[in-house]
Amino acid sequence: MNPRNASLALTVAGTCCLGLAAATPAGAEPRAEDDRASVSVFHGIPGLTVDVYANGKELIPNFKPGTLTEPQKLDAGSYDIEIFADGEGPDGKPALQKTVEVAAGGNATVAAHLDAQGKPALDAFVNDVSAVDPGKARLTVRHIAAAPAVDVRAGGTPVVRGLENPDAKTLEVAAGTVRADVVLAGTGNVVLGPADLDLAEGTSTVVYAWGSAKDDNLALKVQTLKGMETPPGGVNAGESDLMASGGALPAWAWVVAGAAALGSGLAVRKLAVRRG
Amino acid sequence: MHGKGPWWILLAVCTTVLLATVATALVPQAPPAEFGSRPAAPAPAAPSAAGAPPPAPPSPSPGAGAGARAEPAAEPVRLGIPAVGLEARVVPVGVATDGTVQVPRDAQEAGWYRHGPAPGSPEGSAVLVGHVDSRTGDLGALAALYRVREGDEVTVGRSGAAPVRYTVTARTLYDRERLPAGEVFRRTGDPVLTLVTCAAPYDRDRGGYLRNLVVSAIPVSG
Repeated sequence: MNPRNASLALTVAGTCCLGLAAATPAGAEPRAEDDRASVSVFHGIPGLTVDVYANGKELIPNFKPGTLTEPQKLDAGSYDIEIFADGEGPDGKPALQKTVEVAAGGNATVAAHLDAQGKPALDAFVNDVSAVDPGKARLTVRHIAAAPAVDVRAGGTPVVRGLENPDAKTLEVAAGTVRADVVLAGTGNVVLGPADLDLAEGTSTVVYAWGSAKDDNLALKVQTLKGMETPPGGVNAGESDLMASGGALPAWAWVVAGAAALGSGLAVRKLAVRRG
Repeated sequence: MHGKGPWWILLAVCTTVLLATVATALVPQAPPAEFGSRPAAPAPAAPSAAGAPPPAPPSPSPGAGAGARAEPAAEPVRLGIPAVGLEARVVPVGVATDGTVQVPRDAQEAGWYRHGPAPGSPEGSAVLVGHVDSRTGDLGALAALYRVREGDEVTVGRSGAAPVRYTVTARTLYDRERLPAGEVFRRTGDPVLTLVTCAAPYDRDRGGYLRNLVVSAIPVSG
């Protein structure tokens, strides 16, 4: 393992723990639900079918490039992840190995991918599953391809600039469909896309740029996580004070009111005349 | 006084009656009565130690392409409550800049909160909102909610799908600031159609109507 990956693992674990501390109310009893984490696995190394083992147990057999698993609930703790060329585990020498800390209540994606120079790497990314504002969606872009720095554009406008392997960038955007593409940083040279991304409200869309520029097999992978919506702040459904004042006063009411006023006047006058 | 005396008394009586009629029309309208109860929201997942069922099936999804998601639900286009003569066009609405639901400017239209479930969805609360009155002084289409009764039938016409029918089960008033948004806009739990408009009291300085009128209707089975 190269030092960069090892340090990233520490960062990931640290972030997860912070997240847990924030999410658990002080003095609350730990709940079973919180003792587990959601973990997805992405295979982003072209041309290599593998078996994934966790703590010596086969987790995903016959795992093909470009495949992303649905989130699985795993107990929090330390996992020794080993990736073997298909059929060579668990006693042979793993192609990739890494210890990943899975923090309670966290959500992470473990990705086997190429580093910028094209060497296989294994990284764990923390998925931000905190609530988004009403009407919004979260978009995360992760560069895990053997390629130089890139810009990510939405509708032709760069929204992420100078993203390098294995970095990620997260944005909160208005929900809707965006046409995204990836260009070499600072240029209009499109290396990926365009692809239409349906950023549904209250969801998190994670886009992985993976593969190798040199081998001309760069590709996008999209992961969607749900359940981050916030209800709107209320309903302001009145324009005038009509319904508060008893409904519309129709024209006939004004005629009647006028007649009544006239009548009162006459009656009072008559009374006054007679008394006088 | 003989013979022609009582005419002015008659006039006075008539005048009183007419004034009373007008006064009745002007008296501030009492908010409509509440009735019934809404279908229960799903039990909060938190307290059960056994753990709620996992939110997603643990099967791998090898072919998930760009932007893959569930097929879009049929959009509602018309709202009808024949018992109270309510008939309104429905348009999709989102979130206003202040974080509240957009309400169609045309008070004769209802807005469907497009980020939540659509009417006919198997779960969650499909929300339609509408102005109770307009700036020009007409009543809005949803003002008819003041007259609905338990058991009234609600029909929602949809684009490219059969209409869905509901039965009114409840009407509730909430202080606008205390609208239980998490419940009203819930995306899971028993299916319910939620119709929201405004209700008195009115206070211009505090943003208009101070209460929300919420009518709940459950799907007609079969």
